[in-house]
Amino acid sequence: MEEEIKKEESADLEARLLEAERLRDEYLDGWKRAKADLSNYKKEEVERMEYFVKRSNEALLHDLIVILDSFELGLSAMREDDSSKKGMTLVRNQLYDTMKKYGLEVIQIQKGDPFNPEIAEAIGEIEAEGPPGSIAEEVTKGYALHGKTMRPTRVMLIKTKNE
Amino acid sequence: MAKILGIDLGTTNSAMAIVEGGEPRVLENSEGVRTTPSIVAINKSGERLGGLLAKRQGVVNPKNTIYSMKRLIGRKFTDEEVKRDKEWLTYDIRQSEKGGTEIHMGDKWYTPEEISAMVLQKLKADAEAKLGEKIDEAVITVPAYFDDSERQATKNAGEIAGFKVRRILNEPTAAALAYGLNKQKNEKIVVYDFGGGTFDISILEVGDDTVEVKATGGDTHLGGDDFDKRIIEYLVQEYKKQEGIDLSKDTLALQRLKEAAERAKHELSTVTETEINLPYVTSDASGPKHFLMKLTRAKLENLVQDLIDRSIALVKEAVTAPTPKGAGLALSDINEVILVGGQIRMPAIEEAVKNLFGKEPHKGINPDEVVAIGAAVQAGILQGDVKDILLLDVTPLTLSIETLGNVATPMIQKNTTIPTSKTQVFSTAADNQTSVEVHIGQGERPMMQDNKTLARFILDGIPPSPRGVPQVEVTFDIDANGILTVSAKDKASGKEQSVRIEASTSLSKEEVERLKKEAAEHATEDEKKKELIEMRNQAEALVYTAEKSLRDLGDKVTEDMKKDITEKITRLNEVKQGDDKEAIKSASTDLSTALQKIGESLYNKNNGPESSPQPESGNNQ
Repeated sequence: MEEEIKKEESADLEARLLEAERLRDEYLDGWKRAKADLSNYKKEEVERMEYFVKRSNEALLHDLIVILDSFELGLSAMREDDSSKKGMTLVRNQLYDTMKKYGLEVIQIQKGDPFNPEIAEAIGEIEAEGPPGSIAEEVTKGYALHGKTMRPTRVMLIKTKNE
Repeated sequence: MAKILGIDLGTTNSAMAIVEGGEPRVLENSEGVRTTPSIVAINKSGERLGGLLAKRQGVVNPKNTIYSMKRLIGRKFTDEEVKRDKEWLTYDIRQSEKGGTEIHMGDKWYTPEEISAMVLQKLKADAEAKLGEKIDEAVITVPAYFDDSERQATKNAGEIAGFKVRRILNEPTAAALAYGLNKQKNEKIVVYDFGGGTFDISILEVGDDTVEVKATGGDTHLGGDDFDKRIIEYLVQEYKKQEGIDLSKDTLALQRLKEAAERAKHELSTVTETEINLPYVTSDASGPKHFLMKLTRAKLENLVQDLIDRSIALVKEAVTAPTPKGAGLALSDINEVILVGGQIRMPAIEEAVKNLFGKEPHKGINPDEVVAIGAAVQAGILQGDVKDILLLDVTPLTLSIETLGNVATPMIQKNTTIPTSKTQVFSTAADNQTSVEVHIGQGERPMMQDNKTLARFILDGIPPSPRGVPQVEVTFDIDANGILTVSAKDKASGKEQSVRIEASTSLSKEEVERLKKEAAEHATEDEKKKELIEMRNQAEALVYTAEKSLRDLGDKVTEDMKKDITEKITRLNEVKQGDDKEAIKSASTDLSTALQKIGESLYNKNNGPESSPQPESGNNQ
C-alpha cells in the first residue's frame, strides 16, 4: 500500500518535472526570441534612421524637379545671343550644385544609348539615325536620388524600320 | 516562423503587406514604391520586365506589354466583357483550346494565369529581398464578383509564381478585416471601392465569424483615371480658348499637363483652390507660351459630378434591388460603410456616400493599401494558429515619484511595454536630512496631488549631510503581471526600503480614461503651476547657496555687501511663497547679481591692488 502511494507520488513528481521542463524550455525560447527581436529591432532602427535621414529631403526635391523642368524649358527658349542666358544658366547650375549636395543627380543619357527602363521612360518613337530601339532624344531630364531613380529620363526612341 | 504575404492583385496596380509583431506593414517593391503596376512585358531584346520597368516602355512596345490581366483571368474568350475589352487592349488575344483566353507576348502565347504569375513573381522576389527571408505562402485578394473559375485561375497564378496560396480572399472582406469589422455581430457593411480603373460595390453581412457577400455591383470601366481625363480635357479646352493652341497635339506639353492635373486633383482634396502653373508649356511664332490657370474644388466637382452620381446610383441599386440583382435591403439597414481606392480621397465622393447612408464612412487607412493590409491581417490570422505570439501588456498611465514642491516626476511613462524597470538617483532637499519619503503616484498630471497615490514609504538612516549630497537610488520595476516594486537605496549607507504594489495596472478602463481626460483638460493650468513650483525650487536653491556663502565667506565680505545680500534673501523668501512668478524671477535675479559681487570682491582681494580692475559688465570689448 505504502509502496503504491510512493509510486503514485513519484509518478506525479515526474509529471510535474516534465511539465516544468516543458514550460522552462518554452519560456527560455520565448525569452531568447524577445531578446533576438529587440536586437534585430535595434539594428533595423539604425537602418531606418539612416534611410529617413537620406530620404527626408525627397518630397521637397521631388517638387523642385518640376521647377527645374520649367527652368530648362525657359533656358532653351532663350536666344543664344540673349545676354541674360548665361546668367540664368549659372543660376540653374547653382541649383543643380545645391541639389547635388543632397544626393540628387541628373541621369546622364546620350543619343544612341541603349534604352534602359531602370533609368528612362519611353514616351514615343521617331525616325532617326542609329540602332533601332536606342535613344533618339532626351525629352525631359531624369533624376536619381542617392543613386536610385527618382524620376526616369523621358526619351524618344529610334523607330524600328519595319514598323 | 515563415511569414505569409498578403497580396492585393489589382487590375492596374498591386500592393503587398505582411504582419510583423502583430501589426500589418505594407512592403515597398525593389523600386522603393508601395504599389506596383500590374504590368509585364518582353522587350525587344527578349528580356522579361515586370512592374514599373514594364510600364516605362509600354508606349513604344504596346504589343508586348501586358496589363489589365484581371479583366481576362478565368474568363471564356466568348464572354461579352472579353469581347468588349478586346477592342481597346493593345496586345493580341485569342481563344485557347479550352475556350479560355490566350495572350501574345514576345513570340509565345500565354494564359492569363501565367501572366498574372509573372506579376506575383515580381512581388514575391521584392518581398523576399526586402525581408531577407523566403516567402512561400500567400493570401491573394479578388473582387467579390469573381466566380469559381476566376478564383481558381487566380489561385493557379499564385501557385505558378511559387506560392502556396493559403486563401483567396474577397477584396471587400479584406477591407473589412483591415478595419477590424469582422468581429461585429450581424452587421451589414457596404464597401465602396473606387480604384484607378474599376468601381466595385459589395454588400457584406458579418455573422458569427463569417463574412458573407450579399450582393455586388459596380462598373468595371469607371475609375479615377476618368476623373484625370476630365480635368485634362477641360484644361486643354480652356487653353485653346485663351491662346488658340491645342496642347493635346504636343506630347511633352500633354505629359506635363497630365502630371499637373493629377497634382491639382490631389491638392483639391485638401484645399479649395489651386493654381496650375506650367511655364514654357509651348511656343508659337510670337515666342514662348505659358500655362497659368486657377482650378477650384467646385469646378472640379462640376467636371466629374455625373461620374460621382453614377457611382451613387450603382450603390443604391446594389443595396436595394431585390436579390439576386441586389441585396434587397433598405439603405437604412446598412450599419457600416467602408471607402476603398485612391479616388475616395475626393471630399465630394465622401460627402455623397455620407449623404446616401446618413453615416460617417470608415476611411482612416490609406485607401490604396487597405485591401493589401486586410490580406495581411488574414495571413496573420492563418499564421496565428502556430502559438508563438506572446501578448505583452502596457502600463495604462504614467507612474511617478514626488519630488520637491509636490511635483510628479515620471519614472515609467504611460504605454511602456512591460516587464520593464527604470532607475534614477535623487537627493535631499534640506541640510542634514536623514530620511526621505518616497511617494508613488499614478496619472498624467504634473502635480502629485492631482494623481492617484499608490503607496508611500520612508527611507531613513541617511547620514547627515548638506542638501543635494546624499544619493538615493530609486528603482521602479513592473513585472509581466503588472506588479510594481519600488525600492529606494541610500548609496552611502546601503540602507534599502521597498514596497510592492499589486494593483498598479488594474485600474478599470473607465478610471484610466477619466484620468487621461482630466490630464488633457488641465494641461495648460498644470503647466503654469509646474512652472511656478520649478521657479520656487530654483529660488530656494539660490537662497540656500546665498546663506551658505555668507556663512562660509562671512569674514571676507564687507558689511554693506552682507546687509545687501541678507535683505535680498529676506525679500526672495517673502515672494517665493506667493504666486507672482515675475516677482520671484526679479527677486531671484537681484539676489544672484548680489552674490556675483561676492565672487568679484574675493577675486579682487586675492589678486591684490596691482591686478587690473574688472569692468562691471560687458563693456570691455
